[in-house]
Amino acid sequence: MRPDPSEAHPPTGPRFRARPGARSEQLVLLLCIATVGMVLWLTAFAPDDDPQPLRVLVASSLVDVVDDLADAWTAGTDTRIEVVAGGSNHLAAQVRDGAPADAFLSADAALLTGLAGPDGPSGANPIRELAHNHLVVARPADGPTRDPADLHDRSLVLVACAPEVPCGGATTARFGDLPVDSYEASARAVVTRLTLDEADLGVVYATDVAGHAGLVPAWPQEPTCPCVTYAVLPLTDDGARFVAFLASDRSRGLFTEHGFTGHGSSGEVTG
Amino acid sequence: MLAVAVLATAFLALPIVGLVQRAPWSGLGDLLTRREVVDALGVSLLVSVVAAGIVLVLGTPLAWVLARVDVPLRRLVRALVLLPMVLPPVVGGTALLFALGRRGLVGQWLERWFDLTLPFTTAGAVVAATFVALPFFVVTVEGALRTSGEDLEQVAATLGAGPVAVLRRITLPRLLPAMGAGLALAWARALGEFGATITFAGNLPGRTRTLPLATFQALESDPEAAIALSLVLLAVSLAVLVPTRDRWLPTR
Repeated sequence: MRPDPSEAHPPTGPRFRARPGARSEQLVLLLCIATVGMVLWLTAFAPDDDPQPLRVLVASSLVDVVDDLADAWTAGTDTRIEVVAGGSNHLAAQVRDGAPADAFLSADAALLTGLAGPDGPSGANPIRELAHNHLVVARPADGPTRDPADLHDRSLVLVACAPEVPCGGATTARFGDLPVDSYEASARAVVTRLTLDEADLGVVYATDVAGHAGLVPAWPQEPTCPCVTYAVLPLTDDGARFVAFLASDRSRGLFTEHGFTGHGSSGEVTG
Repeated sequence: MLAVAVLATAFLALPIVGLVQRAPWSGLGDLLTRREVVDALGVSLLVSVVAAGIVLVLGTPLAWVLARVDVPLRRLVRALVLLPMVLPPVVGGTALLFALGRRGLVGQWLERWFDLTLPFTTAGAVVAATFVALPFFVVTVEGALRTSGEDLEQVAATLGAGPVAVLRRITLPRLLPAMGAGLALAWARALGEFGATITFAGNLPGRTRTLPLATFQALESDPEAAIALSLVLLAVSLAVLVPTRDRWLPTR
């Protein structure tokens, strides 16, 4: 029943100072080992230093296609591409705050017009429309089949993007008010809810359904707008070269392969 | 030494000053009476108070056992109790999802037997908040139990007091300040919980969107509202420091 004085316990009371030497030496040793271990790990697996990689900010729904685009680009130019994925709004805020980046691929062209003005960080660079992505109501692949009426069934768990992010804005424009159970920060987060089988239905992008075995369209759906239009803004000269590459047949093919539509249809958008 | 200490203090104070100087004071009343802010405040209050209640009920016996009973694997249990304090909350939320989610280890049975699903419910937000807050209470109360020792209780027992009388007359009264401090800390932690909540309970206004989640969401679209929400959380945190100041701020 007597408290063991060697046991570490919260920083109250006099017993905390019992045998401090042995304890703190062990602790310091442990911290050193952990730090050295992490440094070794880092040096073992850190990528080789190469000439300044191209830093590209991309909306998270573009990650898969941009990974392929980056491979194609690197094969041709020997420049590595560092992909920073995130919600378009977050990324736009980062660019506005001066985050270093060479190009920004956004799921919302309107976010770019705010950055593209002559006073913006990109100077007078033009915004180029990239591709469209359509919304699909999806369900877990191993779940029961659904029909359009289920979208308003409150007993089912429905997740969608928050209205503040591009996929959420498109969801509201397309489907109106829905009995959503959780608003996620990106379509990818909705995909995860579905693949983990925590949700019965989720509004995601057509490309998400094409790219994940864990989810399928909840019922057959035609690609219909309101949808999302991706646009790109070069922020540096290197970024402009990458944007030019995005207009090539090669990247056009990759976009189509990943389920995007209308690649490069309308060219420049004026801010 | 003094210069570094001043620097460190400035480092801690600077973000607070930054937040306060950006506050839209004139529009604050308007911002704070908005539907989404009031909703988030309601959810936060409900979640943090219920979580604090659960923490009190579960944490007191746990702290007592850890401090007074020589149970096997006590060190292991204590390490387990401390884990949520150092674990990134997102990891906690993910772990909760795989334990109590619809397809989780225990969650699937909860759904099958009791038709109970925790993710995307206020109850789920309470679970997440309790998970991260419990250690703060247990650690504080256990420390106080150890410091106060058992002498008085043994004396009372030799004078003929039964176990219930000892608990009611000796142990609990001496423990109350620590329990209050522990509860205040746990409640503040529950109120500020973000990562585990958004991972496990999701994000729905009026059900699981607490103040921190609303702050995060507002940053996407309405930074002014995010600042107003941050001010509310800051004020609440300061309010927690006041009653517990004797414990954490030596008056000397």
